Amino acid sequence: MRRSRGVGLGAWGLGVLLATSPGLMQAKPANYKGLEITVANIERSSTVGLKDCPPGANSIRGLTKPGEEFAIVNLSFKVTPAFRDTLVKKPVLLDASGKTFQTAMSFIDPGSQPEYSCGFAYRVPEGTKLGKIQIDTTTIDLTPFDKR
Amino acid sequence: MEVDRRAFIASLGGTAAVSIMDHEAKAEALEHWMEERLDEAVGQQGATPQKFPSAAELEAQIETRSYRRGVGNLFVNTRGGMMKKLPPMPKNATLKDFFELRFAPANHVLQSATRALKTGMSEEVVLACLLHDVVQSMIKVDHGWWGAQLFEPYIPEKSTFAIKYHQALRFYPDSDAGYEYPDQYLRIFGHDYVPPPHIESTYKMVRNHKWYMEPRLVTVNDLYAFDQNAKVSLDPFTDIIGRHFKQPKEGLGNDNSPSAHMWRTIANPDAPL
Repeated sequence: MRRSRGVGLGAWGLGVLLATSPGLMQAKPANYKGLEITVANIERSSTVGLKDCPPGANSIRGLTKPGEEFAIVNLSFKVTPAFRDTLVKKPVLLDASGKTFQTAMSFIDPGSQPEYSCGFAYRVPEGTKLGKIQIDTTTIDLTPFDKR
Repeated sequence: MEVDRRAFIASLGGTAAVSIMDHEAKAEALEHWMEERLDEAVGQQGATPQKFPSAAELEAQIETRSYRRGVGNLFVNTRGGMMKKLPPMPKNATLKDFFELRFAPANHVLQSATRALKTGMSEEVVLACLLHDVVQSMIKVDHGWWGAQLFEPYIPEKSTFAIKYHQALRFYPDSDAGYEYPDQYLRIFGHDYVPPPHIESTYKMVRNHKWYMEPRLVTVNDLYAFDQNAKVSLDPFTDIIGRHFKQPKEGLGNDNSPSAHMWRTIANPDAPL
């Protein structure tokens, strides 16, 4: 049910894609108050595990309705010494036209681990082309990762 | 199946809770825990879509059980086997006493309130998350309304509102508020379940209410409070309880409040009449 649209293809696929995609090769971590953020990939799915960030072992899954899908933006985080553990706002997704979407996932103790990866899911109409993701004042362009 | 010993002990409320269980209770708990992990593992196999029951199929199961699904946790052993004698309540029982002696392990509500606390929600919402499901020890059906009634004499109006109406809001996703429809409800209500008219009309009323976000945030935190590895405690909530819970000096159940009888029922579920 979960369809990868980026580099979610294992180590081999990641290597191939990094070597062939100019957009990904140029991807540098964004920095939000000492939290380094890199886009790993984008997936689409009709169901998603509801896990906060960093993820735990919550067992509940969210479901879409017909005509919708979850756009899952997988982000990698590195906590640098400059990071002060405070509340970090939820990332907001903007589609290609600038319409905003909210995620159910939240940051919980974002400074508790040195590095982690999280999938932020957004319930969007099927086929929505993604534009950007924003965490408070930091904006990351998603267009190189959204291959549809 | 490999058993994660730490996760299993945590699911029972920690080593202290396990130490007071007898061998039979431990074996029973382990069996149940393994069943749940298996269900989860099967449920999360992405390549194999789950088959959820219909509401009619769930209704057909009624006559296969020796209890009704709406009964409170203190009154039935849904896994079979005998009841255990409950520890006595202190004379002037506090909310903390009820958490330790009747609601335990209360892991789900503690996780829910912990998340509310860590995401900076108001103290009224944190308190509502902490209390939103504990009435299920007495009764499960209509637990939002029962829970609100149980706590109404003691907590802020907003918290009561949040507890009462989270029951209706949970059937209606709201992405903007961070609430998704959980697969768990397909399993327990049926994939074709339609909320009854009173739930629908309650939802519409609350959706337009100025306090809509209070019960909505209870549902949001509710979804993220099923982590078998979470380590939680009542301690972080001591101050919030102190500020917002009007603890009667006579003890809960002895204060002649409109819900004192409900506290006595939870304290003494073995009373025959």
